[in-house]
Amino acid sequence: MRAGLIASLTGHSVFLVWGLIAFPDAKSFSVPQVETLPVDLVPIEEFTQLRLGEKTAEVRDVAALQPSDTPAEETPQPADKPGDSQVQQPSPPTPAPAPTPAPPEPEPVAEPEDAPEPAPAPEPVPAAEPEPAPEPEPVPQQEAAPAVQPILTSVAPRTKPAPPRPQRQEPRDESIVTDVAALLNKVEPAGQTGGQPDTPASLGTRQGAPNIRMTQSELDALRSQVAMCWSPPVGAVGAEDLNVRVRFNLSQNGEVSNGPEVMNSNATPAFRAAASSAVRAVMRCQPYSLPIAKYDAWQEVIINFDPREMLGG
Amino acid sequence: METLVETTLAAPKGDLSFYGLFWQAHIVVQIVMLGLLAASVWCWAIIVDKIMIFGKTKRQMNRFETVFWSGQSLEELYGTLHNRVNHSMAALFVAAMREWKRSHEGARPAIGSLQQRIDRVMDVTIQREQERLENRLLILATVGSSAPFIGLFGTVWGIMTAFQAIAASESTNLAVVAPGIAEALFATALGLLAAIPAVIAYNKFSSDVGRAVARMEGFADEFSAILSRQIDERG
Repeated sequence: MRAGLIASLTGHSVFLVWGLIAFPDAKSFSVPQVETLPVDLVPIEEFTQLRLGEKTAEVRDVAALQPSDTPAEETPQPADKPGDSQVQQPSPPTPAPAPTPAPPEPEPVAEPEDAPEPAPAPEPVPAAEPEPAPEPEPVPQQEAAPAVQPILTSVAPRTKPAPPRPQRQEPRDESIVTDVAALLNKVEPAGQTGGQPDTPASLGTRQGAPNIRMTQSELDALRSQVAMCWSPPVGAVGAEDLNVRVRFNLSQNGEVSNGPEVMNSNATPAFRAAASSAVRAVMRCQPYSLPIAKYDAWQEVIINFDPREMLGG
Repeated sequence: METLVETTLAAPKGDLSFYGLFWQAHIVVQIVMLGLLAASVWCWAIIVDKIMIFGKTKRQMNRFETVFWSGQSLEELYGTLHNRVNHSMAALFVAAMREWKRSHEGARPAIGSLQQRIDRVMDVTIQREQERLENRLLILATVGSSAPFIGLFGTVWGIMTAFQAIAASESTNLAVVAPGIAEALFATALGLLAAIPAVIAYNKFSSDVGRAVARMEGFADEFSAILSRQIDERG
């Protein structure tokens, strides 16, 4: 028994010493470095919002309804990040600075009409000037007010300061058209900040406002609703080229209020069938479900029925 | 981010070697570990001892059988063996021959129930030999069955204290949890380390005991037959 005990003790001590050497300490796992990718959540509205139309922009087709090759040619290169779009807005040919000085000169026709008007114009001016004077004064001094007026009336004959004012007022009254143009063009087109989308300027909607945002997904929803009801003219010769543009108005409950109107025409005999199929599609899907809050954005809808996209071309 | 770094730094960065695990453990777990280590030492001592005993017994039986069946006279064999300390078959032979001799001593030999006495003497000798071979095998069986539970107890206790430490440090960071669990599992490892050789050795040795006892019983029957023939021839 003693021999066995000695052998056992020896064996265990050898084992423990071996454990001290073989397992000195735990080794940490070597974890491969994982690259972190920063992800920014950007609302889609910044890219797909409808903007206020610009008068001078040219009419363009909506890119999404065209085959994929055509928009690539038209749209400018998109910016890498939403923040720094280097492609500036293709600003309209800037006649803005020119017309503003112009109004008195190019429209002499209006002048004869406005010529008699300068006479009444100075009249309100003296009336406006005395008003500030009596206002600070207490009410009981009504005597002072008539006292002031004679002084001014005595001054009135000297109408020399008046002429500069008629000059300013003249263009305003000349014609409404130039007035609107001046209002529209007050802000000169400048480099765009990052908040603006990169899509080229278009005519936009008629009641377009900068605040209304119709996202791309909402537009796609409308398009898909129409596309579900549309049976394109499959068998016709040259059906791929039968591009029908339909305009219609919608009421607030999503029904077509102003009937679908085909905007383009084509000499192809099959065009009539295609056009009627497009009109039928619009009428069949009538209660369109769209966000009521953006009614101004979809009050009037123009849809391009492009069979190439529909047929999977 | 800063808080995360601070907790990571504040976590116990322990020594995870065998000895580090032992010294960091709770006192109860340390006692369990030491007990398991002692049990392992004792088991291996028994195993080594038993291996030597069984080898020696087998060699002795082989040598005795060759001598016994070599045609040598039983009286001469008894003369050479009866002064020694004998084991297994030699002890059987000596016990039976001693009973035979004693029965023939004196003026009136008691031969009437000599056969029965010889059988009983040999049975007792076999039992004594079996007891000698089986000695301490029960320790192996006990260690083999209970060491895992003892190790498990140490593990449970260690994990209990580890969770208490986690609750105290108010952090579930893995660096806080891991050392406590590692040192707790070390107790189970020691329990298995003691139990597995004990179980294997117990099974082997108990079968060896059975085989040796069967061999001795076979020899006892044969020798009893020889002596019985002698008794009948003389009577």
